[in-house]
This record gives sequence, C-alpha cells and structure tokens, in this order.
Amino acid sequence: MKKNKKKKGSPSIIGRRDVLKIAGATGAAVVFTQLVTTGPLSSDAVQGIGRQTHQANASGGQEWHMVIDLSKCIGCHYCLWTCQATNDVPEDDMRWNIGFPETTENGVDFFMTRPCLHCQQAPCVKVCPVGATWVREDGIVAMDYTRCIGCRYCEVACPYDVRRFNWKVSEKENPYQPAWGTSEVERRPRGVVEKCTFCVQRIDRGVAQGLTPGVDPQATPACVNICPVNARVFGDINDEESPLSKYLAEHDTFRLREDFGTEPKVHYVRPEKEA
Amino acid sequence: MATTELTYKRSAISPFFFWVAGLAIMILIGIAGMANVLMNGLQVTGLNDRVPWGLWITQDLSSIGLGAGAFTFSALVYLFRVKRFEPLARAAVFVGFLGYTSAMLALAMDIGRPDRFWHPLVYWNVHSVLWEITWCVILYSTVLALEFLPILFSSNYFSRWPWIRKFGELLHRGAPVMAVIGMGLSMLHQSSLGATYGVLSGRAIWFKPSMPVMFIISAVAGGISLTLLATILTGKLTNRRLISLDLQREIARLAGYVLLGYLYLKIWDWAATSYYSHSPGTASALSRLQATTPYTQTFWWLEIILGGLIPAFILLYPSLRRNDRALMIGLGLIVMAVVVNRWNVTLSGLVVPPEWSPGVLGGVLAASYFPTWTEVAVSIGILGYGLLAFTLGVKYLPIFRRARAHGGD
Repeated sequence: MKKNKKKKGSPSIIGRRDVLKIAGATGAAVVFTQLVTTGPLSSDAVQGIGRQTHQANASGGQEWHMVIDLSKCIGCHYCLWTCQATNDVPEDDMRWNIGFPETTENGVDFFMTRPCLHCQQAPCVKVCPVGATWVREDGIVAMDYTRCIGCRYCEVACPYDVRRFNWKVSEKENPYQPAWGTSEVERRPRGVVEKCTFCVQRIDRGVAQGLTPGVDPQATPACVNICPVNARVFGDINDEESPLSKYLAEHDTFRLREDFGTEPKVHYVRPEKEA
Repeated sequence: MATTELTYKRSAISPFFFWVAGLAIMILIGIAGMANVLMNGLQVTGLNDRVPWGLWITQDLSSIGLGAGAFTFSALVYLFRVKRFEPLARAAVFVGFLGYTSAMLALAMDIGRPDRFWHPLVYWNVHSVLWEITWCVILYSTVLALEFLPILFSSNYFSRWPWIRKFGELLHRGAPVMAVIGMGLSMLHQSSLGATYGVLSGRAIWFKPSMPVMFIISAVAGGISLTLLATILTGKLTNRRLISLDLQREIARLAGYVLLGYLYLKIWDWAATSYYSHSPGTASALSRLQATTPYTQTFWWLEIILGGLIPAFILLYPSLRRNDRALMIGLGLIVMAVVVNRWNVTLSGLVVPPEWSPGVLGGVLAASYFPTWTEVAVSIGILGYGLLAFTLGVKYLPIFRRARAHGGD
C-alpha cells in the first residue's frame, strides 16, 4: 500500500527500470511473433501436431486421393454397405460413406456419395483440443480413439458432415456382415468421434507388403473395390502412372466447396457430360 | 457491524427454508439427470451429428460470460485502483467462481468421455482455440479460487484457526497480482469462446472476426449486470442496503455504457455482414435461418430490443436508473439477453449447415434440435447448485462485508 502511494506521487520520468521493462516487452513480442509465424506454433504447422506424437506411417512420398465419377454411378448402394461391413458400422445413421439421390440444375438425376474428403487443410484437425486427429504424411486424416475426449468440436467444424459421434455403443449385429465384408477394425467405444479412414488398415498393411493401393485390391479401400461400374478410383496422386492420376488427367473434375479452402482429396466427375 | 453476519428477519425464515428446499430439489433433479447421462451416454440427449452442441454448451457459455464480473471488478478495484467499487469486488469474485464451476460441471456432462477431461492438459494442440480455452478456464478458475479463499477464511468459522486466517490475508495481499493474471486470462478465453465459432471457415454465419470481440463485450456487460442484480436482490431480501445508492447507480451506468458500446458494434456487425454486403454463403444461410427457424426473430426481439435497447435506456436514463425496480428489470433483461445470445449463436450456425452437394436437393439431412428432459434436468441441477451456493455464501460468508484484511480505512 505505502509503496504504491509513493509511486503514485513520483513524477513519471522514464528510468532504468522502465527501459528494461520496455526492452523486455519488445523482446517478448519479437519472440512471440516469431513463434506464431514460423516453427511449430505457426499456422502452417498444424498438420504436424498429431504426427509428432504418433508413429509416422511408412509414407514414401505418396499422397492418397480418390475420384468419384458421378456420371458412372448407378446408385446401387454397394459402397455404403461394404463400408459399414468392413469398418463395422452397424447403424445406418452412423455411415462414414453416405449416399443420397440428387438432381442437377438441369434436372439430371444422379446418386451422390461422399466419404471423408481427407482435406489437406482439414478444419476438424485444426480445432481438436487434444490433437486426437491429424493429417498424416500420406494425406489421410486419421483419428486416435484413445485420445478423443468427445467434445465434438470437429463435428461442428467439418463443413461436409463427415464426422460421427458414438452417442451409444451399438449392441446390434452388423446387418451387412458377412454379405458385404467382415470387420477389419474394432468397433469404437461410446463417447468418441469416428470417421472414414480411406480403409487405412488396408493401405498401411498393403504398403508394408509392397502392394500398390488403388491397384491391388487388398490394399485398396473397400468402397473402391466393390463398385460394379468402377465409379471410384483410388491411388497416389504423386505417381503419374497410378490409375488415379491417369483418371484425373483424362477427366474434368471438381472438389466439394473449394471456396472453403479445405483442399479435399476426393475429386468428383460431374454427373452429366458437358453440353 | 464489521464482524456480524447478515441476519435474516424472523418473518423471513420460512420463505428462506422453502427457497433452500426448492434449490435442493433442483439439485436432486440434476443428479438424476447426470446419473442418466453417465450410465447411458449422450444418446439420452436431443443432440445429434448435425447439431452436436445444444443446451449445455449454451449454459456453459452463459455461465462463463455472466461470470465476467469477477475479472471486470478485480481489474477495476485492484489494478486500476477504483477503490469505490471495492464493496462489490467480493460479490463479483464469488459470482464468477460459481459461474466457472457451473460451466465446468456442464462441460463435464457434455463431453463424451468425462474420464478424459485432463487430456487437453497433457496432449497439446496449440492450434485449437478450444485447447487455449481449456487451459485458460482451468487457470482462471484457480485464480478465482485463490481470490475466493480469503473470503472463506475470513468467515467466523475460521477464527478458531488464526493461521488459516493469516494465510487468507496473505493471499488477499496478492489480489493485485491475481487481478492482472485474471484479466489476462479472461481477455483471452472470454473472446476465444466467440472465436470457437468465428474461426470456422466452413460455417458462413459464424465465420467473422467480430465473434471474439462481441463475446467479451457482452460478457463484461452481462457480468457487471448479474453481480449488481444479485447484490440489489440480496439487499432487498435481507432488508439491508449492501452498497450505497450512489455506487449502485454508478455501476448501473457503467453497465449501460458497456451495453451501448456493444449495441453499436452489434449493429455494424449485422449491417456489414448481411445488409450492405452480399456474401453468397452468409446470405443463403441467413435466408434459410429466417425461413425455417425462429432465430431471426429472437435475435431482433430478444437480443437487440428487449435485451439491448430497453435495458440500455433504463440504465442510462437517470429517473429510471434511480428506480430500484426498473433497474432490476433492466439488469435482468441484460442477463437474459446474454443467455439468449449464446443459444442463438450456437444453434443458428448448426441448424443451417453449409450446402456441399453439387446437386439442387442439398441432400444434407435436416438439422434440428430440441433438448430432452435429461438435458433440462442436468441444467436445472447446475443452476440449482449456483443459486444454493450463492444463497449459503451470502448467508454465512462475509461476501458483502468490507474487507478487513486489506483496506485498513
């Protein structure tokens, strides 16, 4: 109290202490600016947050992308069902890969399907308070179910309605097994968020065995394999010889709401040919 | 006077008993709801993957927002040394402490894995605004607890242990330091709570830089208002004048000016994003909002007119401000508006999801939400906790007594 009163009364001349304070504050500001513009705290480093703490996947410079050709799709629902069987999603409203009938502006009917788009600038990754989801070296947006706290901020952030929360643990038998496949991953516990993984278990095992995802079925997402009309194409965008790169080169494609700046890795071919 | 607790008039004992009993019932209802949530998971809520945040997030945001009186008064009294506001500082800290603990209770119910509540402390994602909020809220709750302990320790109960009292006085000497830390933390997370929505580039209604600013200013207005309202109401019920009329009116005027500043920014926030400009995403979302939800109406009528212009007029017009009843109504309307605002902001962004389908049908499943009885029960329980703790605190703790350990005047 007394000290403060004394200070109040003294004339305000910049003394040595003030100079030190100003210098300290300036230094701190410089350090802070450096930290948030470059290095691990910078905005660009966001994809690395999960990677630092998770085992790096064996990526040899590959980046997995998918093409969905809406002009080929016949709306058979097989890709939805095999996804549910392979990833053990028994409830239809928990589908990772959703599909619904749609119509273009010109009145052409088509069937719209949408897995996780595995955005390179994924909004869901940025917002996770515990780094339970991250963009892998090979571009896949992965989830750690043991770290997720179930706050659902990623669901709120995702503009494509991709993420699903385990409101309960389904006790139901999976109606799509074994007709459409068998479980390759464990059913998720109650209270965590889940999403399409591009069947990462197949990709990781396949790459380790020297297989090529997108070419060898064992290493390719189930939805791509099952499609009776080959409307889904998968592969490494950095490999010019991959079926995906060739398909992209030969077709006009677009990505969903590019204006969001999310840089999705799923490309679509328009349902109707250009007039 | 300095050492006596607040005493209730003989005739007031019976209503007091009913009041406490009512609050206890609210808490019991809440416990039943919480048990249901913990046993059966969040399937017992009305939440879904389209609208994953609802009543509890609103309660959480409101409790923290309305607890902002704590940092406002601490900063005013201990940092800027506006000593005449000191009689309200304790009440503000107490209300803030209850607000933050209420928020943490609501959050503990809302997350799918309450057993992992500590994860943000261990697993860092510095790029997540929610990570920053978690840290700030935990640290600031600690600051509030440290600010509150001296009040607790100076109660008569602790007079039998002089060393505890000494410890409390020692803590209280650190009040200016805690005010600085508290203000820093509050300026971070009170605004980051708005940024939670403001940074989401995929949600046109939310995505704007004004969000964090609007949240902190409305929190300051709401926080001051709730603290003052609680003080006046307690004074009326105990037939005591807890703060001088001059002080009461000065604080009311302060809240009025903050509210006016908020309304000014709010009008420009609206005009710049949806009146003078036409951003396709925002325009589409707002028109869907108007067509399918009541939130356009609740924005204008409850947030702007009933909770903004009218209370600003009451608080700034001298003859209305001098009328205790009008003043209490004005303050209550501001508190109401903060809650409505948090609900509107949360729900409006969620119920009109962005259209990402390349077709014209949209295909995006209809997003709607209505809280279930379990959610309401839990919210009632948390509210009951806050009110009961406030009631008992005011009755048994020296909340509205001049600080002996400090002041010395």
